[in-house]
Amino acid sequence: MPTPGLPPGTLVLLILRVVSQGPLHGYAIAQKIRTLSSEQLSVEEGSLYPALQKALANGWLKADWTTSDTGRRVRSYRITAKGLKQLDVEQGDYQRMADAIAAILESTS
Amino acid sequence: MSTWFRRVWHLLNRGRYERELVEEMREHRAAMGDPSKFGDTHRLLERSRDAWGWNWLDDAMQDLRLGMRALMRAPAFAAVAILILTFGIGLNLTLYQMASVVLLRAPEIKSPETLAKFKRRAPGDSTSTVPYPLARAVERENQVLQAVLLENQSTVFWGDEMRHIAAVFVSSNWFAELGGTAALGRVFSPDIDSEQSAAVAVVSHQFWRTHLASDPAVVGRIVGINRYPVTVVGVTAPEFVGTDLNRPEIWLVIDQRERVFPDSPLLRSWTVENTQLLGRLKDGVTVDAARDSLRALMAALREQRPDVVRDHEWLEPMLATVNFMDQGERNGVLGALSLFGTLTTLVLIVAAANVGNLVLSRATSRSRELGVRVALGAGRLRIVRQLLLETLPLALAGAAGGMLLSTWSANVIVSISGMPAHIRYSPDWSAAAVAMGSSAIALLVIGLVPAWKVARQDLMAAIKDGGQQVSLRLDRARLRRFMMAAQVCGSCLILVLAAMMTRTLQRVLSDDLGFEYHQAAVLAPGLGRYGFTADQASGYWASVKDRLAQRPEVAVASLALAPPLGRRIQETTFDDAPGMEVIGNRVDANFFDAMRIPMMLGRTFQPGDDPLSTVIVSRALALAMYDTLDVLGRGFPRSRPAATIVGVAADAHAIKVEAVNTSEIYRPLLPDDVSQVVLIARAHGEATVLPPILREAAMIDPRILPGIELLRDSFDRRVMATRIATGVAAATGALTLVIACLGIFGVVSYGATLRMKEFGIHIALGAERRSVVRLVSRQVMTPILAGMVLGIAAAVPIGIALASSPVQVETADPAAYAGAVVIFIVAALLAALLPAFRVLKSNPVQSLREG
Repeated sequence: MPTPGLPPGTLVLLILRVVSQGPLHGYAIAQKIRTLSSEQLSVEEGSLYPALQKALANGWLKADWTTSDTGRRVRSYRITAKGLKQLDVEQGDYQRMADAIAAILESTS
Repeated sequence: MSTWFRRVWHLLNRGRYERELVEEMREHRAAMGDPSKFGDTHRLLERSRDAWGWNWLDDAMQDLRLGMRALMRAPAFAAVAILILTFGIGLNLTLYQMASVVLLRAPEIKSPETLAKFKRRAPGDSTSTVPYPLARAVERENQVLQAVLLENQSTVFWGDEMRHIAAVFVSSNWFAELGGTAALGRVFSPDIDSEQSAAVAVVSHQFWRTHLASDPAVVGRIVGINRYPVTVVGVTAPEFVGTDLNRPEIWLVIDQRERVFPDSPLLRSWTVENTQLLGRLKDGVTVDAARDSLRALMAALREQRPDVVRDHEWLEPMLATVNFMDQGERNGVLGALSLFGTLTTLVLIVAAANVGNLVLSRATSRSRELGVRVALGAGRLRIVRQLLLETLPLALAGAAGGMLLSTWSANVIVSISGMPAHIRYSPDWSAAAVAMGSSAIALLVIGLVPAWKVARQDLMAAIKDGGQQVSLRLDRARLRRFMMAAQVCGSCLILVLAAMMTRTLQRVLSDDLGFEYHQAAVLAPGLGRYGFTADQASGYWASVKDRLAQRPEVAVASLALAPPLGRRIQETTFDDAPGMEVIGNRVDANFFDAMRIPMMLGRTFQPGDDPLSTVIVSRALALAMYDTLDVLGRGFPRSRPAATIVGVAADAHAIKVEAVNTSEIYRPLLPDDVSQVVLIARAHGEATVLPPILREAAMIDPRILPGIELLRDSFDRRVMATRIATGVAAATGALTLVIACLGIFGVVSYGATLRMKEFGIHIALGAERRSVVRLVSRQVMTPILAGMVLGIAAAVPIGIALASSPVQVETADPAAYAGAVVIFIVAALLAALLPAFRVLKSNPVQSLREG
């Protein structure tokens, strides 16, 4: 299921990008995506979790239980070397696709 | 950490991981200002599961659970199916075990790859043993063997109780070369045990346990062997096997043999061929190189002893890795096994096809249920998988049952056939693999084929009419008729073969042997062992015969070189009678009377007949060689006459019982034979009076310890194997027949239930009972007929192949065919008609009213 308002397959890309700056827990990842996109991307926040599981299953992320600033037990995700490689690949793919779409849109206008 | 490992790890810890995920999502929701934007936790959990890729497993487990539940609900079906598969798989496994013991497993001895047994071979001639002096000559003069091992099998008397036990006289290097060790004391050693040293013996672990009460003090004890004091120096390790399937009870040193058999010529005579020759090849010497080198050696020995070593004679090496079988024997065993393998595979196919039909019937009656599943979105593959997985427990249980069955049957075969108990028939890993392989084949037939057939139907339509149309279509499916024809074909074939084997056994058991064995006994004093010269032996026999002549119970006594039903066989083939094995014997004038073999023409031997130029042929040989019985006075053999025929005897199978296409030929005794002959005595009444009389007569020489056996006991021993094989074949035939009939019955009665309304209409419209019966059973008649024709046709070539194999089946036997066909037709008709009569009894018109 593509997330409404988000091109299909890009959610993992965004997660990897956000986590590549430093370990974050689930809620923080959602927050960060929202703030970085200036609240433009409306995401069903829960769909973050299937995407996170997919990243875990493929070994792009690792998860550890830690205690948050507020003293609650949270699971924080950090990126692995494989995840960084995947981020590069997906970023490149996305860039090419965006350029291609842009090229088409410019030619018709 | 590889992706696969991570996924498996996740699967194993799934419960914990999913609890954590749920907790994590709950925390996330709680932290949000507007929790409704989070989404449905359950759906998200489901999608998270997808990410790990284990959904197919969950589905499969679910299908398996469904299948198990369905089987639990139909315990009768499950039990029948599992039993049928157990039988099919178990039979294959048993055969595999036997094959692996005979062909694949080398005896457990040291370096079997360089140990060979040698057979004396010359063109058209083959002997498994050699004279002892020849063996020693080979040992001295060969270039290719690093060690020569000798063994001679005899029986000896043990201790004061004079127990008759199996002994092997071996060269002193024997244990060291085979890697045999002692559990107690020591084994023989070339450094200690020689011709001059004290006489020693090693007893087998089995003998020590069963007859010596596991007494450790036996080592060092002095025991009388044939009344000569011999020191027991050791007990073999329990796992030691030796080179032969028949394990002896005691080992003695061959160089010391004359202490126990003081006058035996075995160690000195170049004509007494009773020693097995084995050799350990030197490093790097191939079998071919050994054969060539020994051929040259035999040629050199022929220079010295032209009377003993034949022209172009060689020694044929047979390696321990192939269980000391030469290529011909190996091919024979392989041929027989592949033939039986075909048959047992056929049984498995019959069994699988049968269960497949049962499964199809069940699936047919469930078309509605399956239709509902399709309507709810299950794909065709999912339906196939479900039906396949439902049969998985059946196949697994069948494989397990098959392994149990084969363990049991192997034990039974071992104990009945008198095979040595140390042979391990217990299933090993390869056997388990074979069981799994056969059950995989079975699964394919019983699961996949019907499942595919069902899934291809328009199952959605089944919901509308309660499955009627789909069920009927499946019921009439070509697949199902094909499976039935396969069953009928296979079981008919097996039945015909079983009938052939039964008939062969009948021939063997009946008096068709051509001689009478119920009232006779054989006395074998083994005069050669006591060093009797020909003259002494003649004197001995004359006085034994005198004594017997005074006994009113004894009708007639005769001397013969080869004992009836014995193991001493001399076979030849003649160019004039191709394809016929001719078994020779040397006998005295009374032989035909003592054996009750009628003379058809001419006379028996007379004093003064030249032993080298007088023969009596049997009827079959006369016909094969001369095309007539009128052969008296003609030269024998036909094209190169060396002897004159003085008589024609009726056909007898006195020596080789099971043999087909063999005949016997008789010559007078040579003077030298007299020390090796046996005496055949015939009683007027019961044969059981003979042994005491014979013993008393034989003991006119106090040294002699005679062996006496009733001929009917020897006969029972000889036909044991045939009897077992026939029993197995008959049981297999009966079982496959039952399976096939169950199949027919099931298909017909199921079809009848489905078409009850149709029959109701027929009857309501005035159809006669007969035509209804025809209607019910018509559906299966074509496949039954087709299967029968195929099965009977296939039995012809397989029967011909069996005739030439060691089984010796009589093939051109119309009675076997007729018997099997009649049995089959009766059983099949019963299975097909019973459901029809049931239909009539249950009043099909009633089913019309029920709507």
